[in-house]
Amino acid sequence: MSTPLQVYEPFRAGLPKLGKYWKSLWSRRTFISEYSKSELREQHFDSVFGQLWLVLNPLLLSGVYFILIVIIGGTTDSSRYVHLTASLFLFYLVANSLTGGVKSITAGQRLILNTAFPRIMLPISAVVIAIFKFVPTLIVFIVIKAVMGSPFSIEMLWAIPVLLITVFLALGLAITISCINVYFRDIASFLPYLTRTLLYLSPILYEASALNPNLKALEIVNPLFPILDSWSRALVQGEVPQTSSMLQGLAWATGIFFIGTYFFLSREREFAVRL
Amino acid sequence: MSSLSASKLQKTNEIAVSIRNVGLTYTTAIDRRPTLKARVKALGRGGKQTRVVRALDDVNLDVEYGQVLGVIGTNGAGKSSLMRCVAGILPPSQGRIEVYGSVSTLLALGVGFNPSMSGRDNVFLGGLAAGMSRDEIEGHFEEIADFSELGDAIDAPMRTYSSGMYARLAFSVAATVRPDILIIDEALSTGDAKFKEKSLNRVKELRSDDRALILVSHAMQTLRETCNDVAWLHKGKLIQRGEPNQVIDAYQEFLHLGKSAAIDEDV
Repeated sequence: MSTPLQVYEPFRAGLPKLGKYWKSLWSRRTFISEYSKSELREQHFDSVFGQLWLVLNPLLLSGVYFILIVIIGGTTDSSRYVHLTASLFLFYLVANSLTGGVKSITAGQRLILNTAFPRIMLPISAVVIAIFKFVPTLIVFIVIKAVMGSPFSIEMLWAIPVLLITVFLALGLAITISCINVYFRDIASFLPYLTRTLLYLSPILYEASALNPNLKALEIVNPLFPILDSWSRALVQGEVPQTSSMLQGLAWATGIFFIGTYFFLSREREFAVRL
Repeated sequence: MSSLSASKLQKTNEIAVSIRNVGLTYTTAIDRRPTLKARVKALGRGGKQTRVVRALDDVNLDVEYGQVLGVIGTNGAGKSSLMRCVAGILPPSQGRIEVYGSVSTLLALGVGFNPSMSGRDNVFLGGLAAGMSRDEIEGHFEEIADFSELGDAIDAPMRTYSSGMYARLAFSVAATVRPDILIIDEALSTGDAKFKEKSLNRVKELRSDDRALILVSHAMQTLRETCNDVAWLHKGKLIQRGEPNQVIDAYQEFLHLGKSAAIDEDV
């Protein structure tokens, strides 16, 4: 008799065989890209502007926050505006990953109950969607920067490693929060307040250097703080970001990614009965 | 997972699925959704309100290639749970399941998981999630669209579909993709009279020596006509298995329904 292709035995806590899991995940990479594309197509299916919203959204967003800092801060300094847009767009990459990730497992219920596949594909798709939304904002930013007369320099390329760290962090956060939502659905309702708080705690509406020294603790507990600081330094000021900030951001991202992924992988075979 | 297309080897009487002493239990919260309010209340009562459900209890079942197995039983008998175990969606709590071939993984019911996407997108995504390649799905897509008779509606969001259209698409996917082991759940057998006949004919066509078919259904007449083996599950236990007419008669007697028209015609 030939050997069985698949053997299903009682579920034990702990990680699945990672090599096999990775193979199965890799063979379905087209799902991730197709899913993200369909999702984007569908999101603006009914609207007049359609895909144009991918550019309109960041423009309106930066406009609204600009009004806020002009009224509260009383400045019309163009570099403030460039800093605001740069930071806000990167922040929304993380925020969109979180909002997309939180419901990715519970919304994929039908698929999870009827198809065997690595569940981690769903939060990964949420991050890919957030990246697709981020790319047009980057172009909008470049245009804004040029219009505002902010100089371009080779140091701006430091933004690339910063972006990679951010994506890594967003991935870890999306995986973690999607898993939490299976067991504690309320997290989805807390999330808007969580992201809003994170927005104000991060150097977006203000610059990192302008932070009151008494509030330095914020820098340490907010994973986004060092990342956004480095991002703004590289893209807006054209400086080399501080190594310590980059390392701190990377440490956060790595920590969250591995803890979240471990949590997710050891639990995911149980998701089908939890939904 | 291997490709879903069937390998053309003569496999008659070889084991396709072997289910050994399989048990499945799960705890469900009594609260419909695990929310904070419920948690706070539960904390007051000291502990969570849960219920242990024994979905499957020591089930032994072998399915051979060339067999068409009908699975019958009342609602909640564990039919769908057993199918999900075979498809690798639910891990069994006890026992062991060996699968010698590619399973359809109920793929069809995953279609429509995102109601705001079009039928086309759902077919593609369902297939990709099940491990098929883009080309494979593209190769089948025309046939799926034709069989479902949805016409232009295939590109409309699935939330606009009627339940009949939905079922037609799901059945078309299941019947077009040709895995070694095909599971067709009862939810697939809805639709108008014309489509019912068409899908019944398709099921008959799909019977072949190198494929194992598992039909979960309440349509006793259909099972009598198509199956060469029937398994009867009740409350998670395998009650009887064997010659279709014999098992179905016993089941209907058990239901105290006799051969009433109501169950025979409910396709």
